[in-house]
Amino acid sequence: MSDVPMPRPDEPLVRVRGLSTRLGGKVIFDALDLDIPRGSITALMGPSGTGKTTLLKHITGQMRPDAGEVWVDGRNVPELGRDALFALRECIGYLFQNSALLTDFDVFENVAFPLRQHARLPEELVRNIVLTKLQAVGLRGAARLLPSELSGGMARRVALARAIVFDPMLILYDEPFVGLDPIALNQVLKLIRTLNQTLGITSVLVAHELSAVRRVADRVHLLANGKIVAAGAPDELARGESDWTKQFFGGEADGPVPFHYPAGDYARELGFDGGAA
Amino acid sequence: MNGRFLRGGYLADALAQVGAAGLFFFSILGALPKSLRYVRETVRQVWFVGAMSLVIIMTCGLFVGMVLALQLYHTLSIFGGTEALGTVVALSLLRELGPVVTALLFAGRAGTSITAEIGLMRATDQLAAMEMMAVDPIAYVIAPRFLAGVIAMPLLACVFNALGIFGGHLVGVTWLGIDNGTFWGNMTANVDLWDDVVNGVWKSLAFGAVVTLIGVFQGYTTPPTSEGVAYATTRTVVFSSIVVLALDFVLTAFLM
Amino acid sequence: MTQRRSYAVGTGLFIVLGFAALAYLATQTTSVANYRQGDSYAVKARFGNVGQLKLRAPVKIAGVRIGSVASVQLEPEKLDALVTLSIDKRFHEIPDDSSAVIFTSGLLGDQYVGIQPGGSPEMLKDGDELILTQSALQLEDLIGKFLVNGSGDANKKPAPTQGTTKPAGGA
Ligand SMILES: Nc1ncnc2c1ncn2[C@@H]1O[C@H](COP(=O)(O)OP(=O)(O)O)[C@@H](O)[C@H]1O
Ligand SMILES: [Mg+2]
Repeated sequence: MSDVPMPRPDEPLVRVRGLSTRLGGKVIFDALDLDIPRGSITALMGPSGTGKTTLLKHITGQMRPDAGEVWVDGRNVPELGRDALFALRECIGYLFQNSALLTDFDVFENVAFPLRQHARLPEELVRNIVLTKLQAVGLRGAARLLPSELSGGMARRVALARAIVFDPMLILYDEPFVGLDPIALNQVLKLIRTLNQTLGITSVLVAHELSAVRRVADRVHLLANGKIVAAGAPDELARGESDWTKQFFGGEADGPVPFHYPAGDYARELGFDGGAA
Repeated sequence: MNGRFLRGGYLADALAQVGAAGLFFFSILGALPKSLRYVRETVRQVWFVGAMSLVIIMTCGLFVGMVLALQLYHTLSIFGGTEALGTVVALSLLRELGPVVTALLFAGRAGTSITAEIGLMRATDQLAAMEMMAVDPIAYVIAPRFLAGVIAMPLLACVFNALGIFGGHLVGVTWLGIDNGTFWGNMTANVDLWDDVVNGVWKSLAFGAVVTLIGVFQGYTTPPTSEGVAYATTRTVVFSSIVVLALDFVLTAFLM
Repeated sequence: MTQRRSYAVGTGLFIVLGFAALAYLATQTTSVANYRQGDSYAVKARFGNVGQLKLRAPVKIAGVRIGSVASVQLEPEKLDALVTLSIDKRFHEIPDDSSAVIFTSGLLGDQYVGIQPGGSPEMLKDGDELILTQSALQLEDLIGKFLVNGSGDANKKPAPTQGTTKPAGGA
C-alpha cells in the first residue's frame, strides 16, 4: 500500500468515470459517472435488475467493466493485479445481498474469519472484537449458532457484523434492510450511522426502503437505464420533481423506467394477434 | 447444456474440460505455498475425506479379499495350485484391486462430497465472500482439499489392502483349510516390497491426485444452481471412474 | 476450539492407522529379510542360458534362501551370461568348488539359482567365480527330447542340449 500515492483527502473515495458494461447482451451501464465523497453515507436506489449489485461488484473488482475507470482511494480497480486488489479489499467491508455466511463455521467464527485471516491477534482480543460487533447487531447470544440455524434477518445481521469487524474505510451494503423487523431495522440504521460518525467510515448502501434511507443517507443516487438519472438529498428526491423520481418514489408502472423486462408484444405472444389468429 | 453435452460437441467439450482442469491444477500448485498457512484446514479435510471414508473402505476391502480368495481358490484348484492362493490374493490386491477399487470408492464417497460442498459454496456466494475478504478460495478451500485427497488416498488403499489380505486369509485358511504357513510363506516369497507394495502406493497416490482434482474442479466450475451442482456431482463420479481406469492401464503398462 | 482439536486427533489416528497398514503390508506380505542387502558379498557365475532368471531372484542352498541375483549381463567375448549373486555375509562358509544351477520352482514357477556345495576346504570370497554351472532347464527342450527319446530313460539325463556344463579348468 505504501507505493500508492496518497490520495488527497478532499477527493471522493470512489470515483467512477465512463463506466460501461454489457452482460449477456444487455447494456447494464452506459457511460456511468458517480462520486462518493469520503465520510458520507450514500444510498443507491433503483428498480431491481438495473445493476446496483453489479455496480458494487465493479467497485470491489469482482467484475471488470468493458470500459471506464473505477477509482477507489486513489487506485483504479480494473487495472489492479490480484495482490493489489486483495490489499484494497482488506480495507473494504462488503455485505452480500444473500449474506453469504460460511456454512462450515458458527456465527462467532464467521465474524472472526477476516480477523483470523489477516491479523495475528491474541485469542482474547479476537473474542472481544467479535463479541463487540455481535453485540452491536444484537446477536451476541447467538454466537454459537450455525448459519443454518439463523433466520434470514439474523443471517443478514451476522453478515453485517462480519463486514464491519475490521473497521474498514469503506463499507458496501447490498440491501441490508431486507428481512429485518422494525426493531432490528432501527438498530441497523443506528449502527450504520454510528460507524459513519464515530469512525468516519464511508458507506454505500443499496436499498429500496425510502423511509429507512431518508433516516440515514446523506445523498441518494437513482440508477436507471444504465445511468445515474437523479441525485440529491433524500428529501429532495422524494419530493419527486423529475419524471424519474416521480415514477420511482410514487411506485408507478408507467414512466421513463419500464416496469417490464424488455419483451415482445404481449398480445402477439399470447396468440391474440389481430386477424392472424 | 446437458443436451449439448450428449449430442454435438462432446469431444470439444471434453477437451475443453481437460484443458481447464489442467490449468486449474497449476493454479492449485501455485496456491500451495499460500495454503501452508491453512494447515488446520488441511487437517480437517483429511478427516473428512480420509477418516470418514474408512468404514466403506474397510468393509469393501474385507469383502473384496474374501471374494477374491473364493474365486481364485476355485480357479487354482483346477491346476492344483491352491498353495499359491496367498500369493495371488496379495498380488491382485497390492498391484491392482487395492489402488483401483479404493479410488473408485473414494470418488463416490469423498469426490462427490467435495464437489457438492464446493459447488454449494459457489452457489451461496461463499467463495465470492472469501474473495471479498481478501482470502484466496483456491488457497483456502481448494488446495487443502486437494492435498487432503492426495494424502488420504494411499493410506486408504493400504488399509483396503490390509483388510483384503485379512479377508483372503479368513476364507483361504480358516474356511477352505489351506495351511497357514503355506499361505503366508508363498506370499512372502513372491511379493516384492518395491515392485508390488510400493508401486501400488505410487499408483494410489496418482489416483488420489486425479480423483480429488476432478472433484474440486467440478465443484469450483459448477453453474451456481441446484441443477448445476447435481450434474457436477454426477460428472465427478463418471469422469473419475473413467480416468482412474484409463490411467491404471497406462501406469501398469508403462511404469510397472 | 475443542471441535478443532478433535479433528486433529481423529486425523492423527487415521494417518497412524494408514501407516500401520502400510507397515503391515511391507513386513507381512513380503519377506523384508530379502532386502537386508548391506552385509553381503558378490559371487559370479557364467551360464550358457539363464532362461527366465530375473533380477532379485532368490539364491538358495538346500532350498534355503541365502541371497539374491544382483545382475544378469551378457559377456561380450564369450557370449554367455554373467550372473552376479549377492550372498548374505552370514553364509560365508561355502566351498569354492560349489556349483550353481538354475532351477525352476514348480512346473511353471519362477526361476532361482540353487548352489550345490562342493567339498573344497577353501571358502568362497567376495568377487570369486563359481566355475561349475548348469543352465536353466528349458521346458521346450525337455519336451522335444522326451518326444525324440521316448519315455525310457529321459529322466536319467536332465542336462539340457547345448553344452552348458562347463568343466573347463576344473576345481
Ligand atoms: N453474470 C451475469 N450474466 C448475465 N447477466 C447478468 C449477470 N449478473 C447480472 N446480470 C444481469 O444484470 C442485471 C443487473 O443485475 P443486478 O446488478 O443484480 O441488479 P440489482 O440492481 O437488482 O442488484 C440484471 O438484469 C441481470 O439479469
Ligand atoms: Mg441486487
